[in-house]
Amino acid sequence: MGKVIVITSGKGGVGKTTATANIGTALAKLEKTVVVVDADIGLRNLDVVLGLENRIVYDIVDVVEGVARLRQALIKDKKHQGLHLLPAAQTKDKNAISPEQMKELIGQLKEKFDYVLIDCPAGIEQGFKNAIVGADEAVVVTTPEVSAVRDADRIIGLLEAAEIHDPKLIINRLRYDMVKRGDMMNTDDMLDILAIDLLGVVPDDESIVISTNRGDPVVNQIASMAGESFRNIARRINGENVPFEEFKIELGFMERVRGLFKINSH
Amino acid sequence: MVSQKAVEFKGTKEGLLIKIRENQDFMVVKDSLIKQIDKAGEFFKGAKILDIECPDIEDEKKEELKSIVQHHFKLSFVEKEERIEIDRPFEGIKEGMTKFHHGTLRSGQQVSYQGNIVVFGDVNPGAVVTAYGNIVVFGSLRGIAHAGANGNKDATVTAIHLNPTQLRIANLIARAPDEKQSNKNTMEIAGVKGDMVYIESINHKGKKKGEK
Repeated sequence: MGKVIVITSGKGGVGKTTATANIGTALAKLEKTVVVVDADIGLRNLDVVLGLENRIVYDIVDVVEGVARLRQALIKDKKHQGLHLLPAAQTKDKNAISPEQMKELIGQLKEKFDYVLIDCPAGIEQGFKNAIVGADEAVVVTTPEVSAVRDADRIIGLLEAAEIHDPKLIINRLRYDMVKRGDMMNTDDMLDILAIDLLGVVPDDESIVISTNRGDPVVNQIASMAGESFRNIARRINGENVPFEEFKIELGFMERVRGLFKINSH
Repeated sequence: MVSQKAVEFKGTKEGLLIKIRENQDFMVVKDSLIKQIDKAGEFFKGAKILDIECPDIEDEKKEELKSIVQHHFKLSFVEKEERIEIDRPFEGIKEGMTKFHHGTLRSGQQVSYQGNIVVFGDVNPGAVVTAYGNIVVFGSLRGIAHAGANGNKDATVTAIHLNPTQLRIANLIARAPDEKQSNKNTMEIAGVKGDMVYIESINHKGKKKGEK
């Protein structure tokens, strides 16, 4: 019996889909069988980020309506044996599936895969309710912005109301240089407000944009910092105890000099 | 030739087809039909009969056979109207019903028609065009196009820029290659040869390459 994890955030554009694609791929790299489910019906993206858009014939709504069998709708990843995608429908909307149907479907997937990752749509309406209905655990993604943190807080409340306890937090797109200058919320600020366990911090990284556009998750790139973070997050989900990574920041010459003085003054 | 029966049953997607061989005595045919259905017993229960195929039997006798099947064995026939719709692939590929769509089709939008479709505009990724006949796009085709959707393999997909996510013709599916393609600046036409979808460019005379 596998584990069902919903990846959610409330606010849009914070990186739910990127996180789902990368964690899914990274778990497959750990030789787990994984299915990533796109619950964002009508605004599907996960297929594009994984580079599997041109393989879609049947989608989640076809499965629920009985047009296709589950096995027909599951798309195998190009590189990873264990990774599968269940795509969303693009020409329908969130009401095409009821929570009961979703629960039944997730139940079937759970029996076949080690991990079922559900990419939740933004918002707190029907789509959100469908996405969380079959979940055992939740991962909340936020960025270091007041608005994103506010929405994450609301989502954590709703998850608790739905009896999904102890969600884990991913802080996405953190810029260590800005944090250091005091221009950005730091990890502790956010953990103070949200009061949930940290699963990982993903630095802001250009390679994410490039890999997303190419349809090739960043975890496939050994050198990428964001890729390293997502690989570590996957290992933590898989039960390993991985220390939180410290990233070296490229500092300007003057800052480096100042840094030297600081050390000396102690 | 003992094994060749006067009456044969054939299962099709739409229902059972009763085939009657030529040059048979009508009484033999009738007997054979009744015997076979009797023998099959429960097997045909609830089955729908598509038609009785009999090249050289008069209409009245065919009706007689039909009424035997219908009343004696309580089997129903597939209605004519619903049959035409599912049975015959669209035939107006050279000349036939056509829908003209003005405007760009964006992600999530869909145009379907039981004939040919012409789109004046682009078809973006995530949009779907489904036609029983041909599809012509005066613009860029980047989404999904399904021509000959009810089975005609002679249907084609043409676009000024043919760059689809997926091409479907009749029951065949072809997908775009995973590597990015260079932009070709010629109009292209996709069609079926054998069991493959082929794409060819159309030259300025409107003929396919290689045609004279």
